[in-house]
Amino acid sequence: MGTTRRQFMKRTGTLALGAAGLGALGTRAVFGAGDGGTVGKPTLVVLYLRGGSDPLNALIPYGERTYYNMRPTIAVPGPGEGNKRNQVIALNDYFGFHPSMAGLARLYKKGLMAPIVNAGSTHPTRSHFDAQDFMERAAPGVKSVTEGWLNRFLYMTKGGDDSDLRAVSFQPVLPRSLRGQYPALAVPDENTQKAAGAFAGLYGCDDAKATAKAQASSGQDKPGVGGDESGRATGRGRIIDAGAQGIVRLGRLNEVLSSEKLVSGGDYPKTQLGGQFRDIAKLIKAGAGLEVAAIDYNGWDHHAMQGASYGVFSEMMGNVSDTIEAFVEDLGPMIDRTVVLTMSEFGRTARENGNSGSDHGHGGYMLAVGGPINGGRFYGKWTGLSSRSLYEGRDLPVHTDFRDVFAEILSGLYGFQADEHQFFPEYDANDKPIGLVKV
Amino acid sequence: MRFQSVTDKRGAACGWVLAISVVFWGLSASCVGEPAETLTGEQRVSHVLDRLALGASLGGVEGVDEAGWEAWVRGQLEPGGIENGACDAYVQEHFPSLMMTMDQVWAAYDPPYENDPPTREEIDRRDRLRYELSQELVGSVIYRAVFSERRFEEVMAEFWRNHFNVDHNKDEVRFLAAHYEQTVIRRHQFGKFSDMLLASARHPAMLIYLDNDVSQKPLTDREKRMLVRYEGRKYQPRSVSALGRQRGLNENYARELMELHTLGVANENRKGGYSQRDVTELARLLTGWTAGRPRGETVGYGFRFRKEVHDDNRKRVLGMSFDGRAGEAGGVRFIHALGEHEQTARFISLKLCRYLVNDDPPGELVDEVAEVFEQTGGDLTKVYEAILFSDAFMDPVNYRAKFRTPFEFVVASLRVTGAKVTGFGGTREALRKMGQPVYGCVDPTGYDDAAEAWLDPGVLVYRWDFALRLTRGAVPGVRVPGAFWGGLPKGDPAGLKRALAEGLLAEGVGGEGWDGLDRALGEKPEAKRAAGLMLGSPMFQEQ
Repeated sequence: MGTTRRQFMKRTGTLALGAAGLGALGTRAVFGAGDGGTVGKPTLVVLYLRGGSDPLNALIPYGERTYYNMRPTIAVPGPGEGNKRNQVIALNDYFGFHPSMAGLARLYKKGLMAPIVNAGSTHPTRSHFDAQDFMERAAPGVKSVTEGWLNRFLYMTKGGDDSDLRAVSFQPVLPRSLRGQYPALAVPDENTQKAAGAFAGLYGCDDAKATAKAQASSGQDKPGVGGDESGRATGRGRIIDAGAQGIVRLGRLNEVLSSEKLVSGGDYPKTQLGGQFRDIAKLIKAGAGLEVAAIDYNGWDHHAMQGASYGVFSEMMGNVSDTIEAFVEDLGPMIDRTVVLTMSEFGRTARENGNSGSDHGHGGYMLAVGGPINGGRFYGKWTGLSSRSLYEGRDLPVHTDFRDVFAEILSGLYGFQADEHQFFPEYDANDKPIGLVKV
Repeated sequence: MRFQSVTDKRGAACGWVLAISVVFWGLSASCVGEPAETLTGEQRVSHVLDRLALGASLGGVEGVDEAGWEAWVRGQLEPGGIENGACDAYVQEHFPSLMMTMDQVWAAYDPPYENDPPTREEIDRRDRLRYELSQELVGSVIYRAVFSERRFEEVMAEFWRNHFNVDHNKDEVRFLAAHYEQTVIRRHQFGKFSDMLLASARHPAMLIYLDNDVSQKPLTDREKRMLVRYEGRKYQPRSVSALGRQRGLNENYARELMELHTLGVANENRKGGYSQRDVTELARLLTGWTAGRPRGETVGYGFRFRKEVHDDNRKRVLGMSFDGRAGEAGGVRFIHALGEHEQTARFISLKLCRYLVNDDPPGELVDEVAEVFEQTGGDLTKVYEAILFSDAFMDPVNYRAKFRTPFEFVVASLRVTGAKVTGFGGTREALRKMGQPVYGCVDPTGYDDAAEAWLDPGVLVYRWDFALRLTRGAVPGVRVPGAFWGGLPKGDPAGLKRALAEGLLAEGVGGEGWDGLDRALGEKPEAKRAAGLMLGSPMFQEQ
């Protein structure tokens, strides 16, 4: 790190990274539509880093001396300090990636990946519970909306010919973002196919009359709607419906995943995350109609011993980076219709705490990967690390509301205009385009 | 159609019910049949068993109907008076770590290596012991939930271990969780809430799980300046390098103590709410509350107040002031007040009503229960009593209105089939796949207590898989005994179906959904498969 650059940074103080306003986002045609049907619909993969992933050790402002002062034991050495494996991967003369993010850095350089700094929820809560809940429902501070944002989108845009595999989560329990009226599929592991077959009749699946009857008797007029207005209810119909949806969808999923025609092309890490992305890629490549996939990656609440260049944060970040790089490689040209978006409920304190970790903070970061992304540059407004520019003197601020990012992705990928559907309670998004998605 | 008709009938009978029964769908459907204002005697028994006993057991209703359900419940509210010798003996024999002090657990399950470096055998042995310890903990929870005579004690233990969640996979918590279960959850769950709260606050498992163990007084401005002054220099005075090692504040526990354990999430109108400043001040007040670890042979595992890392400055939390001399007693005073706080009364009452009555309990009930909580200073037995003997508890709208959690489903399945359990690996793994591993919830929130969270299309498949394997005898460590199969009629398909349904399902033959089940069972049902289908049926997922 050159002193000159530091001084420069100090003088300029604020660094606006995102060139906002690259033209308003129009209601442009959906990717893939009217495309001769050679490829499926666009796919959004949401990766939730649960626990509050540390923004400052992912997107590292190595050009800022304060970063090193604030983090005596967990700062990552800048380029030129230490060896190649443990130093920041510089992407411009101020910011770089954590050394474990080599794969993402390569995607960045290819223009396929973009980070957003100081992004997150403007709601001040530092509670995991609330912050995750608010972000997953895209309704900070509003408790009356009970359904997840992805589920709301799916429900509002549902059609009669929706694929059974339109929305899938490759984990046993759906993340909250996918919970709600629209029947998204949580995927159990193999070996359960037999059980699903045995219960098909009981859950109204191999007898059209029985299905109709079950639905009629439960007061439903259509499959997938069994709750009351709040979407929270239980009831016999809801149970039958959940079971029936599971049977039909698992059958289809199994068919696709076991197809021998699909060869995985990427070098996925042998981790749960790697396996989950491999399966998502299979569904995309098979043209199975997958539009939304969501995955939770737990364990980012690094209050103690989070490590600097190495350690637990590094391992987890490396897993994310290697997985996404393999995913992109595996998809080949299909990446042009695919976006991976990472998020976390909040950032962490700019200063490390007394345990070589960091506490719950405010502003966080997001990463966007895929062909539709205007990659190779940083987005968001950066205002430095001086006490005055930090939120409450301790955390990164939020300059990019996560809802703006959601809105832009839904618009750019699916032509869905959030505000026209009053998608975000008490919030209008689209008047502040970020330019993240190609127009 | 039980759900619907019950609701509709109530609605027809008295319109005001509509206002509180919003959890039910189908309210607009036409009303038919006579008003059902109360549950039948059989339904009451079934309701009590499902909600307060984790399900009916094979061949008996454990005295619920003989004595009348009220008398049975009164008995269960004083678990100490219920003979439980067989269960206790089993626990002592098979889960010895549950009866040990933390030091004994440490010595027995983490023995020091004799060789340096340790041999492969030593390492393997230690790994095996660790697994055994974890298996004892999880096994004891499942075993008691299925076999204890103190049924309601098990129902509430499940509630409180979820409320005061610790994940036994974190750090040393695996060595401490059994003691936590015994001395925090079970010891206090029929006593004062504030006593349980304080016990949890001082237990090493919680101190480690939520990081209070590593929270220390923050550096003063002067100390920070000293550090900066010597930063990067090769030689530092010893006092400065000591400062450099000093840890700072960790707010994790302070926040969850208020948000998850007592007051609930600060709400918008700030009634009973707390600020970030309260969190930080509380973290300072609780500095020095740490997990004592064995050192030499004199000091063992337990709570230890470390004066040297305690912040002696004045603090102010939720309007209470603590001067520099308050020390450990200040924290105790605050936690006691927190445990009896008006907002705590409300939050805990809401959670208990949600657990015992309905995902969306009537506001009037929560108000009444919160009042009892406040008046009795958080006497939990009195609070349970207020819920269980409320009109709402036996209100038909709440009958079978809850979707079983995976834990409730697994335990109820084992009970109703009279399963013999000799190992816990199979049930433990099944619960993990269903998304509810015992003592394995990573988030301090515990598992979601609303049915919605468990109603995913994919996850039901694991229940079906478990149900079929259970009756087929393919769940490791579990066997449905001859006593269950023996009495079934042979060569009489209709009789077989009837006998199985009466044994396994609350409503027996002819209840809502029976026609579909009857069809699925087929003309000539095979007993094991038929029993599995019943356990995996929609009816068995309700309670």
